Amino acid sequence: MRRPAPVLLPGTSLLAWRNLSHDRTRLIATLVGIAFSVVLMGAQFALLIGFARTASTLVNHADADLWVVPLGTTNADIAGRMPLRRRYEALSVPGVASVDEYMVQFAFWRKPDGGSESVIITGFPLASGRGGPWAMAAGSPADLHVADGVIIDRLYRDKLGVHELGQVVEINSQRARVVGFTDGIRTFTQSPFVFTTHARAQRYTRFPEDQTTYLLVKLAPGADIGEVRHALAERLPWVEVLGRDEFARRAQRYWLITTGAGAALLLAAALGLVVGIVIVGQTLYASTLDRLAEYATLRAIGADRGYLNRVIIKQAALSAALGFGIGILATGLLVLHSRSGNVAMALPLWSVLLLAALTLFMCLAGALVSIRRLTRIDPTMVFQ
Amino acid sequence: MSGEALLELAAVGVTYGHGATAVEALRGVDLALRAGEVTLLLGPSGSGKTTLLQVMGCMLRPSSGAVRLHGQSLAGRSLEELTRLRLRHFGFVFQHYNLFPTLKAWENVGIALDLKAVPREDIEAEATRLLAQLGIGELAGRFPSELSGGQKQRVAIARALAGAPRILLADEPTAALDGRTGQEVVRVMQALAHQRDCALLIVSHDPRVEEFADRVLHLEDGRLARRSRAEDAPCA
Ligand SMILES: Nc1ncnc2c1ncn2[C@@H]1O[C@H](COP(=O)(O)OP(=O)(O)OP(=O)(O)O)[C@@H](O)[C@H]1O
Ligand SMILES: [Mg+2]
Repeated sequence: MRRPAPVLLPGTSLLAWRNLSHDRTRLIATLVGIAFSVVLMGAQFALLIGFARTASTLVNHADADLWVVPLGTTNADIAGRMPLRRRYEALSVPGVASVDEYMVQFAFWRKPDGGSESVIITGFPLASGRGGPWAMAAGSPADLHVADGVIIDRLYRDKLGVHELGQVVEINSQRARVVGFTDGIRTFTQSPFVFTTHARAQRYTRFPEDQTTYLLVKLAPGADIGEVRHALAERLPWVEVLGRDEFARRAQRYWLITTGAGAALLLAAALGLVVGIVIVGQTLYASTLDRLAEYATLRAIGADRGYLNRVIIKQAALSAALGFGIGILATGLLVLHSRSGNVAMALPLWSVLLLAALTLFMCLAGALVSIRRLTRIDPTMVFQ
Repeated sequence: MSGEALLELAAVGVTYGHGATAVEALRGVDLALRAGEVTLLLGPSGSGKTTLLQVMGCMLRPSSGAVRLHGQSLAGRSLEELTRLRLRHFGFVFQHYNLFPTLKAWENVGIALDLKAVPREDIEAEATRLLAQLGIGELAGRFPSELSGGQKQRVAIARALAGAPRILLADEPTAALDGRTGQEVVRVMQALAHQRDCALLIVSHDPRVEEFADRVLHLEDGRLARRSRAEDAPCA
């Protein structure tokens, strides 16, 4: 781990760099500690964001401007019901371009070799395709024209006991045939999504033919979303009208809070932060105590408190930068690895920046103990 | 031969603690350090030498009496103001060199230049020039651990000279050096003090230092007793 020494002129930056680099063992311990803490925090964030995205995946991908949902709806996966005629009422509202019915309902899936699993049937109108599967790996939504056709995700092939197109299963004791696979459409509830037509979804879940679970509204060009939303809410009884992002957030909040996943992940992330602060604080303080005589000499020859503080802060910031680099790399690999697993992880740029800020905060907080010690330093100790 | 008074102490007293346990480390000390003059301060252990050095070096505020730097009273200055005065007017040399072990010789001098706000691009050249003046220019790239005691003390002297302060205070500068090396170091300091018209005060137990001093002061039980080296008058 010998790296070329940066070209620094004498000053606080040079002192900070040399204080760190001349104590290899301590530097490595510090960096490992920071990187560990970054990975801990990063993994929790990535899980949290991944869970949140999964929890609202149907809402995010259904391509609706507005969702008409039964009153009291808390998330997309657990649906109530409403009369299908609401669709025509909605179509009559000015500014509405199209309205599609959308079924979401739990059902039992019987594997070809016996055994059953719970699944979520999602049914969409083939004519418009809105609410249909995205990220197709094999087959296409058009293949749902085949009688009893359904589409599932490759991630759940083992769970659902289906490995090839054309395999036949039973959904709530009715025949179904897998005609397509999607790639990477995860479910938060652990009940995989099964895509099919709206009519078939009604039949599989024994839903009344004149009912549905949601309406997906697209606006006419130039229509004001606030006005249309208001008009829809006025016009349609016993429903709620939600913007897409609003519904997505509601679903995320519901799943992350009711399952306790959000709190658990945030707690673990906070723990990672505390561990980091303690490690940085410890190693930096130990190094400061070792060099107390040097800091006293600096004070004696005329350095003010700010000069000493800058040495400490730069040590902390340098440690933060190096430790963050290692930690974020490891976190990135972890996230990449999760792509092929059942657990979704996501680390968008904003979360990387947040992690960087937290790492810097962690190191500066760790530096406070050392800074406090140095304010009490007495330059007279240089004379015996 | 003595020039203007750079640092003056008038009736300075320092008392540590109070009540029954109070220790009077300095009592009624009158003293002036003059430009171009080398002063040797002798005294038995516990006589107050270190305390006097701390007062002169603007690190310790006396309990009584007055300190004047370039004619300006230091009464009522804050600790940070005193720090700035140390930076501007003093160079310090220590018994154990107090070099920064992670910095090369020239960087040790460079830190002092940086503190004194010498432009960044001039620091390396100026540090090397100072080291060359002390006869160790070729050692500029070495770390303190790669230098002998005498060489380390020369680096420390170069650092003390950075920014050309007028007052140099040295605390037992030869105590950690063998006789010949110690003598060499004091010879260099004396020559530089005369050449740069600095006031140099050396606290030492070393009798070999005496021959380089323009005057010798004795501290006993916190009081100053003057003993002239040559024909020096008994009064300042
Ligand atoms: N911080 C302090 N608190 C209390 N008493 C002190 C303190 N520093 C010094 N003293 C006392 O003041 C007196 C003078 O001490 P000083 O250190 O100045 O002597 P010195 O001449 O430097 O001694 P030495 O040659 O042993 O270094 C001593 O009696 C010492 O015990
Ligand atoms: Mg002493």
